[in-house]
Amino acid sequence: MEITFTINNEKRTLEVSPHQRLLDIIRKDLGLTAAKEGCGKGECGACTVLFNGEPVASCLVLAPQAEGAEILTVEGLLSREGELHPLQQAFLDAGAVQCGFCIPGSIMTGYRLIQDNPEPEREEIRQALAGNICRCTGYQKIVDAVQLAARRMQSGGDSS
Amino acid sequence: MKNSQRNVSCRPEASGSDFKAEQENVQELGQKVPVGSADYLAPKSLKKALEYRSRYGYKAVVIAGGTDIMVDYFERLSEVTSWLDLTKIQELKEIKFGPEEIRLGSMVTHRKLATDSRIRENLPLLAESASEVGAWQIQSRGTLGGNIVTSSPAGDTLAPLLAYQARFVLGSVSGQREVAAEDFFTGPKENIMTQEELLTEVVIPAPRKRTLSRWQKVGKRKAMIISSLTMALLLELDDKDEITAARAAYGAVAPTPIRAGELEDYLTGRKLREVSAGKAGELAVQEISPITDIRGTVAYRRQVTRDITEQALLDLQQE
Ligand SMILES: Cc1cc2nc3c(=O)[nH]c(=O)nc-3n(C[C@H](O)[C@H](O)[C@H](O)COP(=O)(O)OP(=O)(O)OC[C@H]3O[C@@H](n4cnc5c(N)ncnc54)[C@H](O)[C@@H]3O)c2cc1C
Ligand code: FES
Ligand code: FES
Repeated sequence: MEITFTINNEKRTLEVSPHQRLLDIIRKDLGLTAAKEGCGKGECGACTVLFNGEPVASCLVLAPQAEGAEILTVEGLLSREGELHPLQQAFLDAGAVQCGFCIPGSIMTGYRLIQDNPEPEREEIRQALAGNICRCTGYQKIVDAVQLAARRMQSGGDSS
Repeated sequence: MKNSQRNVSCRPEASGSDFKAEQENVQELGQKVPVGSADYLAPKSLKKALEYRSRYGYKAVVIAGGTDIMVDYFERLSEVTSWLDLTKIQELKEIKFGPEEIRLGSMVTHRKLATDSRIRENLPLLAESASEVGAWQIQSRGTLGGNIVTSSPAGDTLAPLLAYQARFVLGSVSGQREVAAEDFFTGPKENIMTQEELLTEVVIPAPRKRTLSRWQKVGKRKAMIISSLTMALLLELDDKDEITAARAAYGAVAPTPIRAGELEDYLTGRKLREVSAGKAGELAVQEISPITDIRGTVAYRRQVTRDITEQALLDLQQE
C-alpha cells in the first residue's frame, strides 16, 4: 500500500507493508539512520522521532499510521548549509556523547522540550528525557548539553 | 534486530476464502487504496469503524496508540492479517465539558490528559496518573481507551477512573451500552467487551466543588515502570468538613482494579479531622488480594497499601 507523509520538510510517497514499523521505513527505505533500534518495545527511546510535533517511539508506530503525518528526525535539524543545530553542537561541546547510540533520540526529545520550555531546569530535563535511556554517560552531561543548548538558543534567538 | 524486509517477505497474504470475500466487500464499502485495504483499515468515522468491527471482529486487530499492541506483537507483526486503526477518527479525540459530566473520547492521549488545564483542574487524579504513564514518547501515543481495554490490573488510569465513578460507552453497529468502570473489568487483561464493540467514550460525573483527592503510584523507578501499586483516593466534603462521600480505588493489588468499600464506609459521615489515618490504612489492607510477582511480594504490597493510604489521609488532613 502507498502512503504519503512529510519527513524533514520533504513530502514523500512510499510503498509500505502494513506490517512494517515507522522505524523500519525511516531507516531502511529512506536511509535516515539517526534513529536507532535499541529495544523495539518502546522502552529505550533510541528510536525517538517527532511525529506531528510530539516525541514518539517509532518502533511502536505502524508504518501506515504515518499517512499524512509530519515527521522530524535529527537529519532534519541541520541547517540548509549543513550546519549542526545548536542542540547537536551543545551535545558535542558538553561532552555528552560517548557511544552515541542514544543521542539522536535524546536530541529529539530535548528539542521538543525546549520548544515548550526555553529555560528548562535540570529536573525538568531529567523528567522529559526519562524515556531516553543512556548506558554510557550517566546523564549528567546530557542534562548539561540540553541546558547549554537552551541557553545558546535563548541568547542567539535561534530556535529553528 | 528487526529486518523490515523479512517482515514483508514472510507476511502471509490475507488468506482463506472467507477473508477474500470480505476484502471485496471492503472495496464495495468505498474505502480507497492507499489507506484502506483489508489488511489495513483506517476509517475516518466511528460509524465506519463499527461497520468494520462488526464485519471482521477479532480478525482485525484494533490499534489505537499501539503502545500495548505493538509490544504484544513484537517480532511477529506479520502474524496480523488485518489492522483496524482508530487514529484517524477525530470524533474519538474530543473532550467535552458539560455541567453534569465530562466526556472523554477513547482516543484522547495520556499527554493530552496530563497537560490539558481543564482536566488538571477538574480531574486531577486522571491528569496525574496519565503524566506517570511510561514517558513522554509513550504518553504522546498511548490513549485512555487503550489503557482501559488492555485491562491490566496495573493500568495507571484505572484506579482514578474507579474513584471518579466513570462509565464506559461501548459502541457497536446495533447501538451502544454504558457500563460502570467497576463492572467492565473481569480479570487480569480481561473485560466484558465483545468483538463487535469498540470503546468510544469515557463519561465522568462532574466532580463536586469541595473534592479532595490523592493519587499515588509506587514503582521501582520513577519513569518507564509498570506500577507495583496504585491508589486513587477521593473525598467529597460539605461546609462543615464532614466527608459526604469517599471513594478509594487501588490498582495492582487484585486481579482487577478495585474499590475498598469498607474503608469508604468508615470514612463516610466522619469529619476529615477526626478520621484515624492508621485505621484507614488497616481497612485498606483487609480489602486487597495481592499476589507476589516481579514487581513486589504480597507482604510488600500489603505494607505499602497501608502506608500510602495512611499518608494520603494525613496529607489531606493538612490541606
Ligand atoms: C515502555 C512502555 C511503558 C509503559 N508504561 C505504562 C505505565 O507506566 N502505566 C500504564 O498504565 N501503562 C503503561 N504502558 C502501557 C500502555 O502505554 C498503555 O496501556 C496505553 O494506554 C495503551 O494505549 P494505546 O492507545 O497505545 O493502546 P493500543 O496498544 O493501541 O491498544 C491496546 C489494546 O486495546 C485495544 N483497543 C485500543 N483502543 C480501543 C478502543 N477504543 N476500542 C476497543 N479496543 C481498543 C487494542 O486492540 C489493544 O488490544 C507502557 C507501555 C510501554 C511500551
Ligand atoms: S527501539 Fe524504540 S524505544 Fe527502544
Ligand atoms: S552515549 Fe552510549 S548510550 Fe548514550
